[in-house]
Amino acid sequence: MRATPSPLFFRLPETSENLSRLTNNNDTFLFEPEPEKKETLRFYDTFDWKAWKTGNHVVLNGRKLIVYDLKSCREVCSAPLRRVPRSFFPDTIDHKETAARLRAIAKLRAFIQFGSVETAVQRWRLLDDNKKTVATVELQRLAGNHQNDSTICLTLFPVRGYDRFFETAATQLRQSCGKPAEITSRVYYSTLMEAAGAVPGGYSSKPSVKLDPRDTILDSSKSLLLSALDVLYANEEWIPKHIDTEFLHDYRVAVRRIRSILAQFKGVFPPDKLAHYKNAFRELGKRTNNLRDQDVYLLQEQHFMSILPEPMRDSLKPFFTDLFNRQKKELRSFTRYIRSDAYKNLMREWEEFLRSDMTSDPATTPAAKTLTSDFAVATVSKAWKKAIRHGRSISSIATDTELHSLRIDCKKLRYLLEFYASVFPARTLQKVLKQLKTLQNNLGVFVDLSVQQSYLFDYLSTLKPDTHAISFSAAIGGLITALHHEREKTRQNFHNAFNTFDSDETEALFHALLKKHR
Amino acid sequence: MKTIALYSIKGGVGKTASAVNLAYLSSLSKPPTLICDLDPQGASSFYFRIVPNRKFSSKKFLKGSSKIYDNIKGTDYENLDLLPADFSYRNLDIELMEEKKPQKKLKNNIRELNTEYPFIFFDCPPNLTLLSESVFAASDIILVPLIPTTLSLRTFEQLVAFFKESRLDTSKIRGFFTMYERRKSMHREIIEKYSGKKRFLKRIIPYNSEVEKMGIYRAPLNAVRPHAPASIAYRELWEELMREIT
Repeated sequence: MRATPSPLFFRLPETSENLSRLTNNNDTFLFEPEPEKKETLRFYDTFDWKAWKTGNHVVLNGRKLIVYDLKSCREVCSAPLRRVPRSFFPDTIDHKETAARLRAIAKLRAFIQFGSVETAVQRWRLLDDNKKTVATVELQRLAGNHQNDSTICLTLFPVRGYDRFFETAATQLRQSCGKPAEITSRVYYSTLMEAAGAVPGGYSSKPSVKLDPRDTILDSSKSLLLSALDVLYANEEWIPKHIDTEFLHDYRVAVRRIRSILAQFKGVFPPDKLAHYKNAFRELGKRTNNLRDQDVYLLQEQHFMSILPEPMRDSLKPFFTDLFNRQKKELRSFTRYIRSDAYKNLMREWEEFLRSDMTSDPATTPAAKTLTSDFAVATVSKAWKKAIRHGRSISSIATDTELHSLRIDCKKLRYLLEFYASVFPARTLQKVLKQLKTLQNNLGVFVDLSVQQSYLFDYLSTLKPDTHAISFSAAIGGLITALHHEREKTRQNFHNAFNTFDSDETEALFHALLKKHR
Repeated sequence: MKTIALYSIKGGVGKTASAVNLAYLSSLSKPPTLICDLDPQGASSFYFRIVPNRKFSSKKFLKGSSKIYDNIKGTDYENLDLLPADFSYRNLDIELMEEKKPQKKLKNNIRELNTEYPFIFFDCPPNLTLLSESVFAASDIILVPLIPTTLSLRTFEQLVAFFKESRLDTSKIRGFFTMYERRKSMHREIIEKYSGKKRFLKRIIPYNSEVEKMGIYRAPLNAVRPHAPASIAYRELWEELMREIT
């Protein structure tokens, strides 16, 4: 099977004379011009560039939302929009296929408009002797809101079954535009976005710090902490806008990463400072707890409704309305906090501390000069053994406290493995993380269900007895029961999940991982 | 995936015009669409200004999907492709006879195209042969254009009778009237009697000289003259058909 060739892209310094010569007197084709069109392109992606990273390009052309495949440059699907949104969720798109495609890119994240560009498009149809279109050429002048000079792009599109003509046209264009002007599809799309003032792929919530195993752990942990701080900075201004739940989520994960380093990297930082920041970040984390809980319940609305029998569902609505209002209040208070001087000072001091030259003192910071590789091996093996030890001691009933504390052990181990991702062999690490994730999923679901139940219990106790409350309480009661059953099922599965993790295979993987620096 | 055949035993009833316009309308709403021109006269290929590759022939067509894939050509319209007819198609019947299961041949040959094209249209030659039988087996709907005359209706009845005799699914057959002229009393009477009845669609394509001019425009009428009476009627016919299919 022969595939149709992909379009060809060129970036031109200016409209060249060669080009007009090409379009005006051509022996092979007749260049039939179409009227010039002005188009406004608005680019959308999630905050963490999920569309771009998965090879998609989401653009609103006029009122048509189009998803392009970056590789083939083809329109994958499109949907009409009634207005121009600043941001939207896939579920709000009124076109099944497009909504599904966007959902596959990002379930929880909103697609945010990050820039727009005005284009003037001149198209030519390349006609053969039969006046049949055998290819099209598009000249695009981009005038972005962030650039003074306009950029010019030229694209040659194939028509299926006319490869020979396409090749001829490509050769002609290469000759008249000059070879260096030819660019790949990815460069073409990023040129469009740059004209709109955006650099695709600019943010990632995971630390991508490349550690040198021969550096001291003090230096390594400083770069890890600085990268977590970047995540805080990147998300803090977005949380108040309340566009999606992932800004807060990433923010919280970064706080936890910081706390995890402060707690687990013993003997690296001076004790007085350590105690101060440990406390500060614990408090910061606490301030976000309610917000996150509310986020989780609101995200679960559909699910909660679906596990109740149909006649009871309406009775649950006041719960979500109430939650929604509480969250608004909570968000206001947290926004006030992150805009306060206290918060700004904390961040400034913290950054200054991380960027300062810390002299190590054998008495207070004995581990600061340890090699990163040695420290990694020591901390990972300690955390791994601890998780195994605690897991094995969990009784057959598996109580709430036991599971809760094992969950924390696993989280610590997970963070450590992620911190040292660049130090350990990637493939082995991936396998280890996969094993760990399965166990973490089980524990995570269990703890979430427990927290939800107890929240609902507390909520129930605050209700004032009146006639409206009867059906409402019944709905909450029904929900608690359903969640209870789900939780017990998860509890039953715990031992299976743990046994898979506590296996010879995983042990061998850990040894292989740690062997590299032993 | 839906396969729709434009078929009639009789010639000159508007098969090609209907195939070209309906396929174009389909490509606007449910892309992408493919037209297979099965008529050696190659009228629909002509309408789209498409000439088959020099090496393409009925033999390649019968070889199936990979050979078919290589010879599909893009029309001037987005999401509308065409498999051009070659003059060698006049021998398709004889060649089909040499195949093991000629009736199933077309169905098997286009199977792989299904993934790429949710809608496939067959523009068939006007006769009742082995190729027609192959088309009947491969199609979900057999659309029969009819001029409102007794002769046209007779061929329609012949087709239904043939389906019954050969134990084919008669529910696939849908007739619709074309080239309707209100000033002719026979046209009026026939329309009144049959339109919207069992096996007939309600929408009627009126006689419109613009349809004949498609040979000059060499484009679907709906693309170049969207407000022509026939274009409007084709749009409504397509909507009616879509309501039946989906």
